[in-house]
Amino acid sequence: MERAETAAFAEEKRKNKKKPLQVGRERWDKHAVIACIMAIIPLIGFILFSIFPLVISFLALFCNVDLYDLSNIKWNNFEGFQSVFVPGHAFDLFGFDVATYFYKACGITLWVASTQFITLAISIVISAFLAQKLKGSRLFQVLFFIPYICSGVAVAMMWRWVFADTGILNAIFGSNVKWLTDVRTMTLCIITAIIWQAPGYGIVMYKSAMNDINASLYEAAALDGANGFQKFIHVTVPCIAPTTFYLLISGIGAGLLTCDMALLIVPDSWETVGGNGSMGLTLMRFVYYLIQNDVNNQDAFGNRYMVSCAAIISWVLFALTAVFSVILFKRRQKSME
Amino acid sequence: MEEIVTVQDRKRKKFPVTKMIVYAVLVLYSIFLFAPILTILVSSFIPGDELARAEWYVWGTAHPTFDGYVKLFTEDPYILSTGIPSLILGIINTLWMTLVPLVVGLLVSGLSAYAFSKLRFPGREKLFEVMVIISMVPLGAFGVISYIFYSTLGWINELGWMPLVIPGMFGSISTVFFLRMYFDGIPTGLLEAARIDGAGTITVFFRIMWPLAMPAFIAQFIFGFVGGYNNYMSALLYLNNNPDFITLQLVLSKVTTLFPGAEYKNVWCASSIIGILPLIVIYCFTQKYFLEGITAGGVKE
Repeated sequence: MERAETAAFAEEKRKNKKKPLQVGRERWDKHAVIACIMAIIPLIGFILFSIFPLVISFLALFCNVDLYDLSNIKWNNFEGFQSVFVPGHAFDLFGFDVATYFYKACGITLWVASTQFITLAISIVISAFLAQKLKGSRLFQVLFFIPYICSGVAVAMMWRWVFADTGILNAIFGSNVKWLTDVRTMTLCIITAIIWQAPGYGIVMYKSAMNDINASLYEAAALDGANGFQKFIHVTVPCIAPTTFYLLISGIGAGLLTCDMALLIVPDSWETVGGNGSMGLTLMRFVYYLIQNDVNNQDAFGNRYMVSCAAIISWVLFALTAVFSVILFKRRQKSME
Repeated sequence: MEEIVTVQDRKRKKFPVTKMIVYAVLVLYSIFLFAPILTILVSSFIPGDELARAEWYVWGTAHPTFDGYVKLFTEDPYILSTGIPSLILGIINTLWMTLVPLVVGLLVSGLSAYAFSKLRFPGREKLFEVMVIISMVPLGAFGVISYIFYSTLGWINELGWMPLVIPGMFGSISTVFFLRMYFDGIPTGLLEAARIDGAGTITVFFRIMWPLAMPAFIAQFIFGFVGGYNNYMSALLYLNNNPDFITLQLVLSKVTTLFPGAEYKNVWCASSIIGILPLIVIYCFTQKYFLEGITAGGVKE
């Protein structure tokens, strides 16, 4: 009895001791201030280097911005929006038809981004085969990740060499196709390089997701008489859905922002923007083109508008990536319910 | 008994076929991945004049040579203005522009994750939630247009290295998540034991959290390093007109203009090999960290 009382008392005492202690820790004493400062430095960096650029690019939507001197900012009466969205408007304004290129670039960008589904399909199939745990599958997995860490510049150079007029591809097929300059094949060259490089990441992610699947699920399916393919469709695919969802969001996001691969495989020339027929012009690359143009010809008349156009296209891209993420996220939540 | 035999029989007959298909697909995919690399590797050893004369693809040569690699280091026009081969300068610049923000940033992110995981201050969880939400917004689209911001700051031309170095030194929110997840797994009792022994907050971080979370830091370091080493767009935006601050990827992208003419084609191929080889070698030795790091990083999403 006494012992129980003591125990209860000790419990009470401990609670009392714990409570003030916790409250005391939640106060703004010296330690809390130091901890808070430590915690928010990355957030400060984010505000400085992600939010501020965002604010300035927002101003540039409606104003002509002088690149080196922000005090010289002028309301441009929606000329930027008209230049980007109304064909011909920009040509009358400063002799460079932004809208035509913009619509062209939209098509190319969506085309390039849609190839993420091919990347995803390759990742699923390869990792399903790797998950069979045959001899050497570990070695294959290690090898398959190598393209992912290769530098985009070197990869572009490599594919330019493969697709060159005197390249190995023409030698194998005995053809004489100018892959890199022909309007019909240029975009395919870019896509090939992306598909060569991208699946490594998905393969690793899928492989680990497949390893985590409970083996008893497969046993249950086998008892129900499922063959290998049925097991894959009814057990593996639902179990790796979260990974698929994550890879889709990040993959399409990256696909929409394709820039360097397009820029490197199909370089600009004097007469063209984004290669012949602009078939290598992605939206991100067009933004770069507009900005770069401003840097190189600071005195030309239309340049102030071009920065505004670049800002508008950036926000369009942002809206696209954000919408894709939100749609996929909603879908995913629905399927989970 | 009979049944078992037939099942085994069927297995024996069927199994090699599926196995063969699986191997065939894996090998075919390996060929798709490594044939292009092999192509440039072979071409990089072919003498330049043979490549220049050829009207068709050159499969091999009777006189393999290292000329392509040697010329890459000795014959570029930037040597005149900077004094050292631009490839070497590019590697030096890439290394410091990658390592300085990476190491400082990891330290800062690590301290932040430590504060969120083990220290107490009012509004800690609220702040963390805010950071989670912020970091889910896809801001990649503003990568190029940020040029306006940095040019307003004056961080271009001679100061063009600053946009590549300074932002990274503040750490990154996604790294904080990743590290916090790891730190949450470290028992608090360990820290309290150290505190009782008189260790301060910072000492605890360096003596206990840092060593215990080493695998997490290594994974983050590796990915940061690969990203920095392969970073082309920022270098192109901010450092393009400045030979003194040329980075490795910029050198590689300029090879065709630094070495114009068909007789330099082997140099172009050699440059690609130089570009990808270091990371492949590092990867081969540390692939465990690579593959584990990538899946651990994905889980957080």
